[in-house]
Amino acid sequence: MNKLLRAIQTNSLFVKMFLVMVISIISVTVLITFSTIRMSNNLFMETFSITNTKVLNQIKQQFESYSYSVVYTTINVQNNGTIKRLLTKENVSSLEASNSFYTIKEQMDRMFSHNPSDANMIVLGKNNQLFNMKYINWSVSADALIDHPITKNSNQHPNEILYQFVSEGDFTNGRPMIVATKALTERSTENVYGYLYIPIRERDLREFYEGYTSEGNSVLVMNGRGEIISSNQQELIGQTSQKLLAAAKETEENGIEYKDVHVLDKDYLLLTSALPALDMYLVNLVDQELVIDNLVDRREIVLISIAIVLLAVGIVFIISRRMTTSLRRLVKQISNMAKYDFNKPVAASGGYEARKLANAFNYMLNELQEHVDNLIKAQRKQRKSELEALQHQINPHFLYNTLTSVKFLVKENKKAEALETIDALIPLLQNALGNVDETITVEQEVTNIKNYVQINQTRYGDRIKVNTLISPDCLHYHLPKLVIQPFIENAFFHAFTEKKQGFIQILIAERDDRLVCEVVDTGDGMQVNKMQGNKGKRQLFSGIGVRNVHERIQLLFGKEYGIEVSSELNKGTKVKIILPIIDENDKNNTISKDNTKTRFLGGENF
Amino acid sequence: MKYFQYRKTWLLMLTVVTFLVLAACSSDDANSNADGGEEPDKITAWAWDPHFNIAALEIAKEAYSEDINLEIIENAQDDIVQKLNTGLSSGSMKGMPNIVLIEDQRAQSFLQSYPDAFYPIGEYFNTDDFANYKLAPTSLDGKQYGLPFDTGVTGLFFRTDYLQEAGYTMEDLTNITWQEYIEIGKDVKAKTGKDMISLDPNDLGLIRVMIQSAGSWYVEEDGETVNLVDNEPLRKAFENYKAMIEADFVKANSDWSQFIAAFNSGDVATVPSGNWIAPSIEAEESQAGKWAVAPIPRLNMDGAVNASNQGGSSFYVLDIPGKEKAAEFLADTFGSNSDFYQDLVLDVGALGTYSPAADGEAYQAENDYFSGQTVISDFSAWTEEIPSVNYGLHTYAIEDILAAEMQNYLKGKDLDKVLADAQAQAESQLK
Repeated sequence: MNKLLRAIQTNSLFVKMFLVMVISIISVTVLITFSTIRMSNNLFMETFSITNTKVLNQIKQQFESYSYSVVYTTINVQNNGTIKRLLTKENVSSLEASNSFYTIKEQMDRMFSHNPSDANMIVLGKNNQLFNMKYINWSVSADALIDHPITKNSNQHPNEILYQFVSEGDFTNGRPMIVATKALTERSTENVYGYLYIPIRERDLREFYEGYTSEGNSVLVMNGRGEIISSNQQELIGQTSQKLLAAAKETEENGIEYKDVHVLDKDYLLLTSALPALDMYLVNLVDQELVIDNLVDRREIVLISIAIVLLAVGIVFIISRRMTTSLRRLVKQISNMAKYDFNKPVAASGGYEARKLANAFNYMLNELQEHVDNLIKAQRKQRKSELEALQHQINPHFLYNTLTSVKFLVKENKKAEALETIDALIPLLQNALGNVDETITVEQEVTNIKNYVQINQTRYGDRIKVNTLISPDCLHYHLPKLVIQPFIENAFFHAFTEKKQGFIQILIAERDDRLVCEVVDTGDGMQVNKMQGNKGKRQLFSGIGVRNVHERIQLLFGKEYGIEVSSELNKGTKVKIILPIIDENDKNNTISKDNTKTRFLGGENF
Repeated sequence: MKYFQYRKTWLLMLTVVTFLVLAACSSDDANSNADGGEEPDKITAWAWDPHFNIAALEIAKEAYSEDINLEIIENAQDDIVQKLNTGLSSGSMKGMPNIVLIEDQRAQSFLQSYPDAFYPIGEYFNTDDFANYKLAPTSLDGKQYGLPFDTGVTGLFFRTDYLQEAGYTMEDLTNITWQEYIEIGKDVKAKTGKDMISLDPNDLGLIRVMIQSAGSWYVEEDGETVNLVDNEPLRKAFENYKAMIEADFVKANSDWSQFIAAFNSGDVATVPSGNWIAPSIEAEESQAGKWAVAPIPRLNMDGAVNASNQGGSSFYVLDIPGKEKAAEFLADTFGSNSDFYQDLVLDVGALGTYSPAADGEAYQAENDYFSGQTVISDFSAWTEEIPSVNYGLHTYAIEDILAAEMQNYLKGKDLDKVLADAQAQAESQLK
């Protein structure tokens, strides 16, 4: 869990960027997808209702032309004297019958040609004579027809053309039909002498509109009683729906273009057109969902959207990953900078921005490095000059005292001793005035110390003895000037205030590849930290004091070298000076061992 | 930087390709239904009588040795004729069936008008196995196009009880002429009060039966030259027809259902008709045992035989994809399967013209409805005698003219004039 959190944290830029991108991609896609679907739906419904209104009008025209031909045929039959004569005749001979059958068919043929070819035409006389133009469509017998309700209805309304629905059953050979019926009446007496039937099979009527229908877009024809007499949805034929009738009436009367209705257990868009001549309503039901589903493939749109989202997210993932990875690497490198002393350049890789950034950072790092180097150089220079100044600062008291001592020696005629003292002073001064960086051999140092000690002993007597114990193999090693002298001086002037007598021992030897010089006195001893505080300025030989030595050594050779002081009250003090081995003959070799020093030395001319 | 440019191009390409693929997916459905040139797996057939030829096709489908996806579509015969004419004349075979049933007397008009529309199937079956009179109307220029279905052989169905009442037996009705038939009819009318025959004045089917029994037709052998005025059999047929009407034993009907009703109700004593009427007669079970079949009467002239044909039909294969399948199906069933013909006779009552089938048991079976008469066998025998005629192209066009002239003749117009006028009308109309 923590690992995951840390991973998220280290990748937080990527995570944020990626999340923002993903969310925006998804929301844009979802919004566009939805608005596309919605817009196409609206557009579709709009155009659909316009087209379907036109379609309904066309279907209506077909029905009207059908009803016109029915009316035309009816008038013709009604006015046909031959038919009337033959229908009223009874008990005729074969010859007459043959003749009249032929004639009536001939007459009917002529009139029938005005009718749409799919409709049938039947003439039935009160004398049970039946003439059927298309018995194959409806092979009905005279007896069955004359007792049927459609004939009776016709009889009751002799002056009207009735469009009557006959549902499927034996009577119609199992085929639903719409039969236009008209009683044939004598004009003068209004006596009914026969009936005219113009039946059209439902499936033929359906052809008026079936071409305009499709799945979810159905047309049905309803009579004035709400009975569905024809539909491309055949299971609806014969059903009665008052609700549908009411909806159709309402749309028609109010002149509404279309209406949302819930009929036949479903939601539909309803368009309607009245056929007043036939007492029918033409109803167009559009199953919106189904039709739109067919037209607008939502699944496909959604799938395309998902594919686009996945693709975009993938691309975003790759790109942002690339961008943030290089940035993240950069950040990691930079935050680790301190570990490498700010001198390791960062790797320039990744995107353009990351590389620019890395380059700029490296450039800055270089500048900084250079600046720091310069600063250190300047500092070192300054310190050196300070030390030099101190070194050159030969204490005038020392000179005064020494010269006074010499004067007394000469006065006491101790000519030889005076000469000896001056001989000791001269190399001492010469040595002190040289370069602060210059090294001298151990041998020379020892000589210097001896000279110094001699001068002091000349002045203060020899109650303090100085012994030197130098390892002979160390004699040719080099060491900085005035490294040991300040401690001897210190011992002379501070270690023997109580004891008045004692020894100072100087030991120089090579130990563990280092040059170790020890100044051990048998004096009063002290508290270690006090040593720094003693500043008997007058007694000092040069500006270089005990205080500076340690600093100077470290400045010259690094932290691993320096001074160690241990002291015990009444027993004495021991100063250990640790120096590198500098052999003038192979000086370069020795120096190159220490990398840190290389730069230091490299920058200077020794 | 170069690497990056390459990479961006690659991404762009990927995007473009993806969109193309998506776009291609969406338009995939558009191209599928375009071509109709391939072999369809559905074979369609048009026929008109659910109790007869459609039922026969159903049996054939069962009997077929292979699997076939056969869709049988019922259409009125007039509709089939009209649809075929519309479809074939437009040259577009779209919506046409693979197999269509055509009445023999109409067949030539289709074959000659649209010779390229039909697929010759003579190689699929042996034409010698079929009755000769069926081959002429179903072939053209020596190529066999039709596979004969039912014979249409005629017989004189009669009510034994009515005729017995009038004093006639089977013997008296066998191999008679139409004049003898009319005399018998008069007797029957007088003694039983029943009409002898039911006729539709608009349909001269009986005239056709009469003239074919004498080997004549409305046109000459070439199938085109109108042959009415000097047609002796036609003249005699007209005279017989008028004699029947005048004898006042004809019950007029105006359509098929009335025709059926006329004998089912017991109103008429005889039905001279094609053998296919038998199932309709048998439908009236109360009259079982009261019917028998005699050979059809003949014209009183040389060369006339007591056998004729009415309304037989044959199957044709249209030259559209699936024709081989359709032809193989027909050849395997109607063209060569004797057992299938036994089923056809027993279950549907359809009598084929496939002569090897006549030896089968079903053909010899006695029919209880017809008092044990071996009806099928008899019809089969008469089939062999049917004179072959060339129906030509214009049977029904000429018949319309003749029907009108027949009425004039009945009203008293001179027969010579009637035939001359009909001839003139036909010639001018069919020019």
